[in-house]
Amino acid sequence: MWRQTLFWVIVSCILFYMTIPAIVVVMTSFNPGEILSFPPNGFSLRWYEKALTYPDFRGAFRTGLIVALISSTLALVIGTSFAFLVVRYVFPGKNLLEGILSSPLIIPHFTTGFGFLLLGAHLNLNQTLTIIIMTHVVLVLPFVARAVYVSLLNIDPNFERSAANLGASPFMVLSRITVPLIIPGMAGGWLVASILSLTEFSASLYVTASRTQTLPVAMYNYIREYTDPTVAAVSALLIIATMLILMAANHFLGLRKILAIDSH
Amino acid sequence: MSKRPFLIPFLVPAILVAVIFLAALAEILQYSLREFIPGSLDVGGFTLDNFARIYRPVYFKAVINTFVLSLATAFFTLILSYPIAFALVRTKVEWVRTLLILLSITPLFTGEIVRTYAWMLVLGTNGFLNTMLLDIGVISEPVTFMYTRAGVVIALVQFAMPVMIIILATAISHINTDYEKAAANLGARPWTVITRVVIPLTMPGIISGFIVIFAWTMSAFATPQLIGGGKVLMISNAIYLQGFSALNFPFAATLSVIALISAFASLALMKLIANRLERQTAIH
Amino acid sequence: MNTNNSGHSVDIVEVTKTFANVTAVHKVSLNIRKGEFMTLLGPSGCGKTTLLNMVAGFETQTSGAIRIDGKDISDVPPFMRETGMVFQSYALFPHMNVFDNIAFGLRMRKLPAKEIKAEVERALDMMKLSGMEGRRVRQLSGGQQQRIALARAIVIRPKVLLLDEPLSALDKNLRLQMQVELKELHQKTGLTTIFVTHDQGEALSLSDRVVVMSRGEVQQVSAPIELYTQPANGFVASFIGEINALPKARCQKSGQDFRFEVCPEISLNGRQPARLELKDGQMVHIFIRPEHIEIAGPRHNGANIVKGNVAAHIYQGTHTQTRVNVPGIGLVELRTKGAAAIDQAPLGSEIALSVPLDEAVILPA
Ligand SMILES: Nc1ncnc2c1ncn2[C@@H]1O[C@H](COP(=O)(O)OP(=O)(O)OP(=O)(O)O)[C@@H](O)[C@H]1O
Ligand SMILES: [Mg+2]
Repeated sequence: MWRQTLFWVIVSCILFYMTIPAIVVVMTSFNPGEILSFPPNGFSLRWYEKALTYPDFRGAFRTGLIVALISSTLALVIGTSFAFLVVRYVFPGKNLLEGILSSPLIIPHFTTGFGFLLLGAHLNLNQTLTIIIMTHVVLVLPFVARAVYVSLLNIDPNFERSAANLGASPFMVLSRITVPLIIPGMAGGWLVASILSLTEFSASLYVTASRTQTLPVAMYNYIREYTDPTVAAVSALLIIATMLILMAANHFLGLRKILAIDSH
Repeated sequence: MSKRPFLIPFLVPAILVAVIFLAALAEILQYSLREFIPGSLDVGGFTLDNFARIYRPVYFKAVINTFVLSLATAFFTLILSYPIAFALVRTKVEWVRTLLILLSITPLFTGEIVRTYAWMLVLGTNGFLNTMLLDIGVISEPVTFMYTRAGVVIALVQFAMPVMIIILATAISHINTDYEKAAANLGARPWTVITRVVIPLTMPGIISGFIVIFAWTMSAFATPQLIGGGKVLMISNAIYLQGFSALNFPFAATLSVIALISAFASLALMKLIANRLERQTAIH
Repeated sequence: MNTNNSGHSVDIVEVTKTFANVTAVHKVSLNIRKGEFMTLLGPSGCGKTTLLNMVAGFETQTSGAIRIDGKDISDVPPFMRETGMVFQSYALFPHMNVFDNIAFGLRMRKLPAKEIKAEVERALDMMKLSGMEGRRVRQLSGGQQQRIALARAIVIRPKVLLLDEPLSALDKNLRLQMQVELKELHQKTGLTTIFVTHDQGEALSLSDRVVVMSRGEVQQVSAPIELYTQPANGFVASFIGEINALPKARCQKSGQDFRFEVCPEISLNGRQPARLELKDGQMVHIFIRPEHIEIAGPRHNGANIVKGNVAAHIYQGTHTQTRVNVPGIGLVELRTKGAAAIDQAPLGSEIALSVPLDEAVILPA
């Protein structure tokens, strides 16, 4: 019995360590003063007001949202079709292409970002939305492809054969059978991709300019210049939004299933 | 009628992305071989001078630092993640499971900046941790966490834990609980069951988790930048310094090439060690 | 559905299929007649599914030709072949309800909605599934899923119905019931049908003709009765039903009398086998079914009697299978009605067996 208790005490301590930053951020965000203090000496929403009206943050949030939506959707289309090729077809250079497209998982983001900065300069696309989106597509593509790949492996190839047998052309098989069956994987992949794109920092720092900065870059710039808790308010909003999205995802898709954790 | 009707339309976009990505990497390689013209963003002719500069102690130290910090982070991440992963897989209470998964996964999706900023609030001289410790009376002077390696590792470990937990939980969920029951049935105490049965059976997960976190930490940037504050220099920070303060793009590119090479080299090295380890544990 | 769509013949001509280094199907030739119920029977891995897949167009043969109504269909893609296939796992689309599953093929043919509705209802009615239209396929029992898979395949009025072990996932009672329904369905529709199974009972009871395959090759193509009584070779003899294989015997022919010397001590009387011209001194294989061997009694006149010790009784309800160790032959199995043999010939006791060769299968060695 005491072993059980000890185990759960340890687990709770570790969880406390994992969550303490979030708790402190939320506490700080409601702090009335400019100087951070613990325990907080009151309650105020002034930093939320400042965060929501600060033009840099507003602009950066809009840019980031546009970039995230476009790049995760592009990654969804490209990643889905690539995963389909990998699972269904054999073609020369398949392994090489797979290796290249999944290498952004290993290559440091700042390297990728720096590369795209130089490429952007070369192509006269310096710090435009185009180059930012290209960078994000490369970064999030492996996540979408992986999610779709797993769902494709899980569908019985006889579904597709059966549809063809009943007279469905390859295009019909794809649109009526394959795609509907992998929709959960596509949705999960797209969701992960858009969150990762929204919060991506290291690569974005290189490829954005103040005009085209995304939210994490704007927050970074703010932290370097000011010490007031405005960023705490933004962070608190982001943490809460993430929590809510994950709870919804857990409810509708099942996080354990998306993450493939399940006991036997 | 082609047997692979979608080959071309599906392949073209993927190849396009791959080509763009390779072009970006090629740009780095190209710049790393160029001469730096101070005060100008244009670059000169081809040269190998940039690579000669690497041997300066600062950069050498940055490489070593990166390696040591990554190793330490991977190690502590593993130690702290294992109990959580175990609890996540084995608890039978639904709400505990949901709580565990939400709390341990959320940090993965909040992004580098939010997490680093939060740790600045916790670790700062007037931050949460010092205030608490002073109030309780454990310390009489604020402890310096900021701008130290320890501070950087404390923050990095927390970022790395979600990924490690996912990998470990997957590994643990794949062990058949019959093994544990059999061991207990044969008289093994719970702790012995864990060390002799559960941990060896999850060795592949432990190894791959360690490698993934090691690689992931090598590419950390915001945390050493903000919490290290220039005092804890990793390769990523050195590159940023060269690129954005000195505007020496060729040398920043050279450092990037070094970062890339050391990332792949240490991954290969770890895989090699891992294979050895795995073969050894497989015998037991 | 209607009988006037029936009657498409399928010709498989010297078809071979080689995967990387396995020859799954080797020089198979079959002519399946209009409206025929043809069964492919053989052990696991003998190439039944591969052959069916080639007819449906999911695999391309390495060599040879497949014709429907005399027309080579090798270049016709699967979705234009008009074969109706039922998979072992049924492959009902999990994201569609029963109606949409059955309507799928008709929708691909762009039939008007009203017609589709009528056709689907007719198919459901035929398969005794009326009222199930709105059900999700996961909510259905195995037997119901089976019927829906059949309905989905026949509603498109295929030229050939292809059934790949459709009954193997069902439990025994349901399987027997579905056998009857399949037979009725075949009679009603008159569809040319290729049925795959590794259950010989199923094959014998359902088929007009049975193709026995082994290791990718055709062993025999016959009507069920002929298959049982006149197997073409040792493989078929031992694969269909149970049979005793006696040691190689030498044929001694004098005029119209035949004797077969199984071993120096045992010679059995026989007659000229149906399709084999025997020469004196020729070596043959003799196969005899357990139900043709009897425990020797007063009415047996002394010929073809062998003696052995009872090694085992296996009681099986309607009959008892008895194993007798006969010196010079080895274990011989015989089948007797009820349980009488268990008392009549206790374990270990010596008994005499009558082994008539009238219905034995005699093949050249
Ligand atoms: N796609 C494939 N690649 C390689 N070998 C294959 C492939 N499909 C089938 N085979 C091989 O061809 C042989 C025949 O397989 P097939 O599935 O046709 O057998 P089957 O008679 O249907 O067996 P079962 O009764 O088990 O379904 C087997 O040895 C199998 O391993
Ligand atoms: Mg088969």
